[in-house]
Amino acid sequence: MAERPEDLNLPNAVITRIIKEALPDGVNISKEARSAISRAASVFVLYATSCANNFAMKGKRKTLNATDVLSAMEEMEFQRFVTPLKEALEAYRREQKGKKEASEQKKKDKDKKTDSEDQDKSRDEDNDEDEERLEEEEQNEEEEVDN
Amino acid sequence: MAAAAAAAAAASGSGTPREEDGPAGEAAASQPPAPTTAPGARLSRLPLARVKALVKADPDVTLAGQEAIFILARAAELFVETIAKDAYCCAQQGKRKTLQRRDLDCAVLGLTSAWLELVRCSFTLCFR
Repeated sequence: MAERPEDLNLPNAVITRIIKEALPDGVNISKEARSAISRAASVFVLYATSCANNFAMKGKRKTLNATDVLSAMEEMEFQRFVTPLKEALEAYRREQKGKKEASEQKKKDKDKKTDSEDQDKSRDEDNDEDEERLEEEEQNEEEEVDN
Repeated sequence: MAAAAAAAAAASGSGTPREEDGPAGEAAASQPPAPTTAPGARLSRLPLARVKALVKADPDVTLAGQEAIFILARAAELFVETIAKDAYCCAQQGKRKTLQRRDLDCAVLGLTSAWLELVRCSFTLCFR
């Protein structure tokens, strides 16, 4: 099917962990069943990709985006996934934004290395407080989502 | 990582002055950040590189955005959780505590769409 078939398998350890956490304590899974689930997950991704790609092509786009994948989920009768996936996407976007800001901040700090150390410290503390406030706001938002 | 830095900052900024918090701050930084997101919003555990390899395996796909790869990974996780839980129901009916292959067949039968027949066949697929 592909040039390097072994790349199409998802890591066993991660699959096992996901399964174990989904099941109550004391429940085991046979090697065969675990392997079958792993293969099914790979097929799931392949099928979802193909489905999402159809949506992308319909929209005359060459790049798959998150919306295409969400549409694919509905097409595949996994509407129940759509809400948790949207939440995950928001969290992912926040994290990416945070990473971007952190690296930009690092860049700024590097440029201003020639300044005195005291000035740097007070600036860092201000940023830490900003990050704290951001975190608190995020937590508040999430509490609302849960409700 | 930004999340670790934020967690360390939160720990050190929680009232005590920065200088005194030296060793404690380092300890907080070395711990993995606790997930503060809602259950559905947890970030993916599946390695995005592997998921990307699967996406690229499709000859019709030109490009896939990072967000798309991430969502596919998270969706695959949800799929695994769903199938595992459904299979467990089947195992319980058989009064067993170990999930077996036949429980998966049973779980898949519970879902109707055509592609799941593909999944059922995939149980015996060998990717090597």
